[in-house]
Amino acid sequence: MSSVELLFRIVIGTLIAAVGGIVIGLAAKGVDRKLHARMQGRVGPPLRQPFYDVLKLFAKDNTVPDNAVGWMFNAAPVICLAGAITLLLYIPFGSILPVLGGHGDLILLLYLLIIPGLAMVVGGFSSGSPYATVGAQREMVTMIGYELPLATAVIAIAAKMNELFPAEPAFALSTIAAHPLWGEMGLLGIIGFAILAMIMVIVTPAELSKIPFDTPEAETELAGGLMVEYSGRNLGLFYLADGVKTVVMGAIIVALFIPHNLSPVFTGIAQGSIGAYMVDFGFFLVKLAAVVFFAVTVLRTAVARLKIAQVVTLYWIPLTMIALLGLILMMWDSVPMLHIAPWLGGA
Amino acid sequence: MFGPLETGAGYWTPLVWVGSMVVVVLVTLVIRGLGERTAKNTHMKGDPFMSGNPEVSKENSHVRAGNIYWGFLKAMEPYYKPLMKWHNGNVNDYVLMFIMVIAVLLLAIVLPGVF
Repeated sequence: MSSVELLFRIVIGTLIAAVGGIVIGLAAKGVDRKLHARMQGRVGPPLRQPFYDVLKLFAKDNTVPDNAVGWMFNAAPVICLAGAITLLLYIPFGSILPVLGGHGDLILLLYLLIIPGLAMVVGGFSSGSPYATVGAQREMVTMIGYELPLATAVIAIAAKMNELFPAEPAFALSTIAAHPLWGEMGLLGIIGFAILAMIMVIVTPAELSKIPFDTPEAETELAGGLMVEYSGRNLGLFYLADGVKTVVMGAIIVALFIPHNLSPVFTGIAQGSIGAYMVDFGFFLVKLAAVVFFAVTVLRTAVARLKIAQVVTLYWIPLTMIALLGLILMMWDSVPMLHIAPWLGGA
Repeated sequence: MFGPLETGAGYWTPLVWVGSMVVVVLVTLVIRGLGERTAKNTHMKGDPFMSGNPEVSKENSHVRAGNIYWGFLKAMEPYYKPLMKWHNGNVNDYVLMFIMVIAVLLLAIVLPGVF
């Protein structure tokens, strides 16, 4: 691919990813708020409410506190949203391959996931508010907390891919999406893989600062924490970034654990046709909605906020141990002596 | 020039990431500029929001560097407490710890080779 072709691809891909990510992210937030309210016995806001919220924020004055480091305070929301949109360029959506799929793998995604969170930390520290600095400090600690189980889950999947398909790059999302692991392993491996899926679902609300891991914002004790001094379009950009991050986390879980497509089921649809892409993208949206429902809506409805020390303890001790158990089960799956199927009278 | 850096199991192209980040930042700035034109970008004079409470001095109201990782240190207290006790400033103790770690490492490396 020539440099000009690549640049063209990046520009077009960025525009589509930005518009698509923002629209789907805001729609996901709308569905989340509606379902959250219904589960609490409330009517809830209309599905379009997040779009109204953004329009309102973009119409308001943008206030910078006197104590703040102005340029850093204004740059943080831009970097946060940009970091979230960049992630979309490396993730497949249904059968639509990533714009920069050949230029970055899962390890890069893990690092890029840090950028939006780090931008929020910088924004918090540059606010000049005690609430915001406490929120920024908590965000850093939360990030340290969930990275360990997240990395364990990713490494377990890549190690299995490397064992099963040594000729292909193990950390490439295209490799993982092309070979769903559910059908490639025995019972032990499937149990281990399911455990890792659960770990990813529990990491998602921390990545998105949602209850029970919303200690950095904690409206009732820190009055919004990181975001307390933000207003107007700066707050609007953080709001958009939150929507895009929701799509990113959902899409990563879909790509790792449920990358199956629907178009091969329909024999009347030719593979590679527009119809096939649309069917697969529609199916991707359904899977994304299911992931967001379980990882965000159900968890934040069912569980109360944890203290920051509890967040770290939860991620570093029980969840990392459970993730390691998942990894061990997936590795044991390739030991013939431990195959369960023959013991049960199977092949 | 735009070829990926290969590690064997993975790959990435730093220049493409930098280029895409520049394009995405420009798109984000355009999105930021879509707001209401009459809305002002003001620099507020005054104290930060403190729920109506008077602001204490800046030195006493922010997170000190030593407390940056407070939640982490608190959660890992059972691990850090004995470690801090061992770090008593006595060089003889540090040398003893060093010898013990070397001994454990040697056993871990040598024993598997013996059996």
